[in-house]
Amino acid sequence: MKLRFASMFGDMFRSLFKKPVTEMYPFKKTSAPPRLRGELMYNPEKCTGCQLCVKDCPSNAIELITVDKANKHFVMRYHLDRCTFCAQCVENCRFECLGMSNEQWELAALNKESFTVHYGREEDLQKLLGKPLP
Amino acid sequence: MENEKREKFIVPIGPQHPALKEPGHFEFTVDGETVTGATVRLGYVHRGIEKATEDRNWTQNLYLLERICGICSHSHAMAYSLGVEKLAGVAVPPRAQAIRQVTAELERIHSHLLWLGVAAHEAGFDTLFMFSWRDRETIMDILEELTGNRVNYSVNVLGGVKIDIDTERADSIRKGMDFLEERTTHYLKVVTSDETFLRRTRGVGFTTTEQAETLGLVGPTARAANVARDVRVDVPYITYADFPITITLDTRGDLEARFVVRIKELFECYRVIRLILDKLPAGELTTRMPRKIKEGETVSRIEAPRGELFYFIKSGGGEKPERVKVRTPSINNFALVTGTAVGHQLADMPMILAGMDPCFSCNDR
Amino acid sequence: MDTVKDILALLFFPAGLAVIFGGLAYEWIDRKLVAQLQNRIGPRWFQPAADIVKLLAKEEVLPEGVDQWLFHSLPIIALAGVLTAGLYVPLFGLAPAHSFAGDLIVTIYLLSMLTLCTGLAGANTNDHFSLIGATRTLTQLFSYEAPFLLTLLGPAIVAGSWQISEINAYAGSHWMILTQPIGFIVSMIGLMGKLELPPFDAPEAETEIVAGAMTEYSGRGWALFRLGKNVELLIGLTLIAAFYLGGLDNPLTFLLKTLVLLLTVAGLQALFARLRIDQTVGLWWRVGALLVLVQLLVTIVLKGVLT
Ligand code: SF4
Ligand code: SF4
Repeated sequence: MKLRFASMFGDMFRSLFKKPVTEMYPFKKTSAPPRLRGELMYNPEKCTGCQLCVKDCPSNAIELITVDKANKHFVMRYHLDRCTFCAQCVENCRFECLGMSNEQWELAALNKESFTVHYGREEDLQKLLGKPLP
Repeated sequence: MENEKREKFIVPIGPQHPALKEPGHFEFTVDGETVTGATVRLGYVHRGIEKATEDRNWTQNLYLLERICGICSHSHAMAYSLGVEKLAGVAVPPRAQAIRQVTAELERIHSHLLWLGVAAHEAGFDTLFMFSWRDRETIMDILEELTGNRVNYSVNVLGGVKIDIDTERADSIRKGMDFLEERTTHYLKVVTSDETFLRRTRGVGFTTTEQAETLGLVGPTARAANVARDVRVDVPYITYADFPITITLDTRGDLEARFVVRIKELFECYRVIRLILDKLPAGELTTRMPRKIKEGETVSRIEAPRGELFYFIKSGGGEKPERVKVRTPSINNFALVTGTAVGHQLADMPMILAGMDPCFSCNDR
Repeated sequence: MDTVKDILALLFFPAGLAVIFGGLAYEWIDRKLVAQLQNRIGPRWFQPAADIVKLLAKEEVLPEGVDQWLFHSLPIIALAGVLTAGLYVPLFGLAPAHSFAGDLIVTIYLLSMLTLCTGLAGANTNDHFSLIGATRTLTQLFSYEAPFLLTLLGPAIVAGSWQISEINAYAGSHWMILTQPIGFIVSMIGLMGKLELPPFDAPEAETEIVAGAMTEYSGRGWALFRLGKNVELLIGLTLIAAFYLGGLDNPLTFLLKTLVLLLTVAGLQALFARLRIDQTVGLWWRVGALLVLVQLLVTIVLKGVLT
């Protein structure tokens, strides 16, 4: 094998005339791939309250609050700051109520409160959040 | 007292040092520029993960253990799932196994390219560092597109995998492999022929095959000293029997050999990934897993990017494991640093250290 | 009136502030070029200046067991040295602010002050990284200094003068890069060694000894040392351009020639892996010094024959 100096010269020379590959985030945003695991999304319509999602969450990031058991009204309290974005809850739910957004992934916030998210039907949320939380 | 101090001029590397991106502590006794002694102290990032597994159920542990390491996260999750599935007596569908293998090999590519950059940086060759990391971004994008995250892929569930590889994704992986193969050929040429770089790697950190055996080295570090030790070949797990890997060996045992072995392993990864994508078995992705695992204990071994990863799992028949013990490849390889440091220049120390690809997070857990 | 002019020259232009800003600009161009060569984006234009401002505003930590007086004065001496050197070189293509027979030698020594101060600063502290860094800095100083000196003597001998302005004027009609190519190459590499740029950055190799001799410096002291280095880069490039690239007679040629040199320096920085200190010394004494000596002999003999 021949010894050479400056074996990276070709790369360097070419990049002299190329645009840098550095991504200009956050000035220029690129879209995330469809499978990206961002914030958890909950659809209350189909939820049966089976609690399977809560059981296997590795970081206890979700709570299911029963509003009206007979009519299957539930509110999900989701602790964004605890979630590890593992998608085990999505995997566990057999009624496809859960999903992870590929758009909501810039989740930083300045106060702690905004990390607690409530999902549910409008009226349930009203009922639950109107009075002191259990 | 004064005299003793004079004799022992110690250069500490770590726990906070630019050469190490993770905390570990090395003390090199130097005489001028020559190293006359080396000790290592570990445990700075002990997080008690093994103990914590005992409080969580089988599924939750999967994600806890995945977070032992940010580079070989899939390896940890996979080793654990394989162990638990063995305990439960569950057979994972072949398609899921093949997807696990694809992810494992993609992860190996990402890990080796990352290492190449880090090692080049330790040698002060920042251009190679920047370029190899630029190209590594290809593999990160592939992983993100395929699994939904760049670091903790979360591909495994107990009893299968979460994700599927469709033709569209297979094509984008193939395209990435083609690009990376071309770049890897170039990097192989750089590390084996660049004069200034070779001066930093050739003959540095040399171990003979016997020494490597005695020190108990594993992974690419051992294979660079001609020790044929690769779990993927010795005891093929998942689909490694159907899509076999050819072991990459080098006889020289120095840093250059470690570069060459790792880079040549990349070609193996590209080949095997393409092969699997062409012949991906059809079928289910998951099978049913019981919530309670029957009593018993098992070990599971896999080849992580850094070498053999070993899991011991004991179940008491409940929803939670009774004991999970992890032994990572880095602990074996640390002996290389203390074993070969003496007689080298101080400037070689970061190189020797990087040459074994240490992972302190894995190691301390 | 003359005194006022002198003071102005010393504080603002061409030495003083102008050199400092020039140095910062050149550091930025250097970093930007290296970044471009590595296919990344590099810092924004005010980054070097912002760094300095930030450092100047920060607390300076005085480590235990150092000679306080030395610790504070070394950065000042270093910066003062290179700034003074700025008086004798044709900065920005203008005639040097000061000029006398033999100012070349003075300039060369003033330029070495920075390295010497760096070495002393490292040796002054108790820190092991600093001590090793200081040893390496001084070792490197001894290895490149002689060849670098010789490369500047080559043009001086041909021009028959020890005065920078005269050599510069002589070089205006003689591109000495053509007649003394070895001298040119060695002087470039010598400058990189002086500035501890990669691949000669063993004295401050971050992956081995953190920041070498500068490890214990923070805040003001560190800012001054960095400024010194930036100014030295500018002055070094000016000297080499003046001697080897056909002299500097107006700001335009200055810009053109020094930037070409800077591109070369950036390219060399990006091209190689760091040399170990023993390799650096070996390279200089076995290759650099010998080559320059041979060339110097040839120059002297030829000059003797021709005149
Ligand atoms: S993604 Fe994982 S951590 Fe987050 S809520 Fe679901 S199960 Fe819990
Ligand atoms: S697993 Fe699905 S259906 Fe069951 S409680 Fe959770 S969201 Fe509702």
